[in-house]
Parts: sequence; C-alpha cells; structure tokens
Amino acid sequence: MTWSWLIWPVGVVLIAAAGYSATYLARRRTRDLLRRTAWNNARAAIEAAGVSRDAAPTTVEEAELLYRRAELIAADHGGLAAAREATDHADRADRLWRAAARG
Amino acid sequence: MPTGPTGCGGRPLVAEPAGRSRSRTLNRRELVRWGALVLAIGIVVVFLAAQKSSTTVSYKTSPVGRNYVEGAAGELSGAVLPTVEEMERRVAADQVVVLDGAVARWDTALIEDMIRGTDERILVAPPGLTDVQQKDLARVESATIRVVGTDVSGISSSTLPEWQHQFITRDITFLLVARIAIDQDSPAPSVVGPVEWRPPTTAELAPAVRELSSGTDLFVAPGATLTKIPADAEHAFPPGRVLYAAFPYQPRGEPVPDFGTALTAAFPDTPVVVMYGSWVGYYGPGQADFADVVAAGYFGPYGDRLGRFEYPQLNVLGTYLDQMTNMRYAGVYDLPLPYRPVDPLALALPALPWVFGLCVVVFLALSVTPLVQGRTAAARPGGGTGSAARLAGLTSLAVEMSALTGSAGNPSLTRGIRRLQSATEALAGNLPVRQVKLQLDRAETELAATARALGRPDYQPSAYLAGLSR
Repeated sequence: MTWSWLIWPVGVVLIAAAGYSATYLARRRTRDLLRRTAWNNARAAIEAAGVSRDAAPTTVEEAELLYRRAELIAADHGGLAAAREATDHADRADRLWRAAARG
Repeated sequence: MPTGPTGCGGRPLVAEPAGRSRSRTLNRRELVRWGALVLAIGIVVVFLAAQKSSTTVSYKTSPVGRNYVEGAAGELSGAVLPTVEEMERRVAADQVVVLDGAVARWDTALIEDMIRGTDERILVAPPGLTDVQQKDLARVESATIRVVGTDVSGISSSTLPEWQHQFITRDITFLLVARIAIDQDSPAPSVVGPVEWRPPTTAELAPAVRELSSGTDLFVAPGATLTKIPADAEHAFPPGRVLYAAFPYQPRGEPVPDFGTALTAAFPDTPVVVMYGSWVGYYGPGQADFADVVAAGYFGPYGDRLGRFEYPQLNVLGTYLDQMTNMRYAGVYDLPLPYRPVDPLALALPALPWVFGLCVVVFLALSVTPLVQGRTAAARPGGGTGSAARLAGLTSLAVEMSALTGSAGNPSLTRGIRRLQSATEALAGNLPVRQVKLQLDRAETELAATARALGRPDYQPSAYLAGLSR
C-alpha cells in the first residue's frame, strides 16, 4: 500500500491537465472558427463588391479606394479585426457602386 | 402561397428535434463531468482533513478520567508537626527521632548498629503532610535522612518485593539500609527478601469465605478502611463476578497470610482483588499474565505518593482498577471490549483513493472524448442538412435564372451566385450554421432582386423553394 498515496498527486495532475487542455483546445477551436467565419464573410463581401464595380456605369473614386484597401487587407490574411475591417470597406464600396448603378 | 421563413423548406425542420436531443445528452454529459470533478475535489478535501497524526496510540479511548485535584483524594492525615526549632533540638539530641503519628516500621537494632558512630540523623514524620508541613520538615537541616510516612528521602522502592514490604507491612528497613550505605559509601548489605507468605488459618479465612459466599462481592476485615467497591470497577474486568477483600496493614517481620490464593481456591475461576494496607494484588484467571504487570505499572508511578500520603483504601483500589482498565483497553490482553459504534469515516477512508481515482477517470474521459471526436463532430454541423437543401435549391434557381437574364439582371445574379459560393465554402469549411444561413440570406436577397428585375414572381426564392419542397 506504500504506492497508493501516488493516486492523489497523479489524480490532481490529471484533472488539472484534462481541464486545461479541454478549455484551451475548445477556446482555440472557437477562435479559429470565428476567424475563418470572418474571412468567409470578408471574401464574400469583396467578391460582391467586385461584381458591383464591374456593373457600375461610372468610376467612383471613393469606392475604388475602399475596394483596393479591402483587397490589400485580405491579401495580408490577418486576424479577426482585419477581416472585419476588410468586410466593412468592401460593403461600403459595394453600396457606393450600387448607388452609382441606380444612377 | 407560403412566404418568408417557410421558404427555408420543410426538410430543415426535421433536423430540429435531433439537434435538441443532442444538446440534452451533451448537458447530461457535462453534468456528469463536472459532478465527477466536484466529487473528486470533495474527496481530496476529506482525505486531507483526515490526515491527522497523533502521538497518542491507543486501542480504544479508555474511560478513566484524568482530572486530579490535590488534596481531594483524602490523602492528608491531619497530623501535627512540632515547630522547626523543636525538631532541630530533638534531632540534635537523638540520632533517630520519631515524631508523633509516624507509621513506618524498621529493624531498630540493625539500623542503630549501622548508624552508630556516624553522623546520620534520621527524622521520621507521619504520612499525609501538607505542602507547608513538608517544607517545614525540609528546613530541619541537621537531619540527614527524612522519612515521611514510608517514603525515605533520596531513595525509593523499585521492585515488587520492595513495594510489598513498604505497603503491606510499612517495613522500610531495606530503604534505610540502602540509603545509609549510599551515605557511608559502603556496599549495601542485602537485607530484604521476598515477602514471606503463609496460608491463612481456618479461623482467619472463615469470615471472609462466609461473607463472600453470602452473595456480597466485598469483604472488609476489621481494621481495613475500604468502605465499598469503587464506582468504575466494572471497566477493569470482563462482565462477571469479581470479589474484593480488604485487610489492614500487616505486622512487620511476620509471614503474611495469603488470602488471595486461599480465596481463589474457595472461589475458582473468579477474579479476586485483595488489599493489605496500601497494597493491591490480583488473583484468579490470568493472574500469571498480568497481575505483576499491572502492579508494576501502578506502584512504579504512584509508589512515591502512596508512601508519603495516607490515601484511603478506596482511592488506592480505585486508582489500581483504573490502571487495570487502561491496560485492558490498551488491547494488551485481548480481553473483550464493550461495544463501540463504528466510525463511518474510518471505514470509508480506505475506499477514498479508489473513488477519487474513478472520478478522475470519468472526468478525464468526458473531457478528452469531445477533443478526439471534435473534428468528426464538427463535420456534421447542426441543421447542416437544412442549409445544404436550401443551398441546393437556391443554386438550381440561380442556374435557371442565369439562362433568362439580360444585362439588367446580371450584377445581382452574379452577386447572388458569389454569395452562394461563399455559403458552399462556409458549409465545406465547417463554419457555424449561422454563417451559412447569413450567406444564403444574402444570396436570397440578390436572387429576389433578380427575379423582380426579370418580372418573374415564380422565380422569387421563397416561392421557388416552396415549389421544390412540395
């Protein structure tokens, strides 16, 4: 029975390790998912904006600027904030071009 | 015509109950997981709280009390001492001074022979002196040996025969001889043998046997001071009859009547406790095993006080029986003990590590399995079939519309198709259902705009999807 006390420290270490890894991996997975989601959004917005630009009858300087900035950000492949910024720029450019298309 | 949200189609609704039961099993699983953790922590706390070490090692807690009040045991005799000056004067006049009330006996001729021509001065005082009286006695500086009761200063009994001499007959010859020999730096002559025993005469034994046969358990001989059996006596022996016989101090230098052996013969298989003066002896079953051990354990620590004070026999016997009880409860002699309820914690402690280990395993398993299964689980996002059906429906709508569009419908249709591609990408990338739905909603908006531009209400996504699911 001299070894049986080992169950306490080993058990405590195992519990701590399991709790830590479960929490850490779950959090990392969530962060990864959020990032990918944001970039999916951003790419969709940029593509939509690109279509709107092709369809616009005139050149809109501001929209061009925003669009190029969004594409630059997307080319850098940053994190969550970058994806949101790119989405924002692309959406604004899209709205400007659509307004131009409506005349 | 159904509109709006129902346009998602009837099929996605099928997936809903399945998802809810999934989350319910997930909740139960989490409950078990956290329950295991809480239980494990609780067990660790209980385990740590139970890790108390004590220097007291005992088979069971003995019921003997430990509160002792000086003077409350009737050990003071009330003897009166002369003044210190008076005692100094008498000690200066005589080599051996015996104060009134002194009880010690010794071989006067032998001691006088030994101290003749030396400067030994022996002062013999009565037993049961108060603290103040003992200090007075200590101030008689010319006395080299002070005797209080049967306690000789500077020396004490240490063997059973010596204790028997001291407490059965109050004979202190051997103590004085040894003490004088120490003072004179001479080898101590051996003057003490074992106490001589003789069988009691029929006349001596008859009253005791008659009394004990009549049903009482206690016989008190004339001159003995025992009044009753001590209250806690029943703890000292297994249940059953125990006989007590008390006798006064015996005369010095004569064989002592062995009442214990005689009573054991008269009452076989019955424990017999016999007192002579301040001496207590046990006879009967198990005598050879522990009578001497109990006596040594009793007179060793208490011999000094028994000699110096005048304890009533009741208190001497009570303390002796307490000593016996302590021995018995120490588990030395395998005597049966009174029933004690079991301690549930003591019973549960050996199982705690295993329960703890089980909790750890459960927590570990429930924590790790989602991580291992995580990838495959994510591959089946909740409501994914519904979104996939909607994606397929909208894609086929887009394909149909692309054949009809002119330049006016192009941008919105293209944007819708791009959104559909994004939704496909989200679905393939295991992104949250919300994201898939968001892209599908955007695509639906664009396709709706396209349908308006084409002037084809039947190509409105809601109407189109409802037509598909019908």
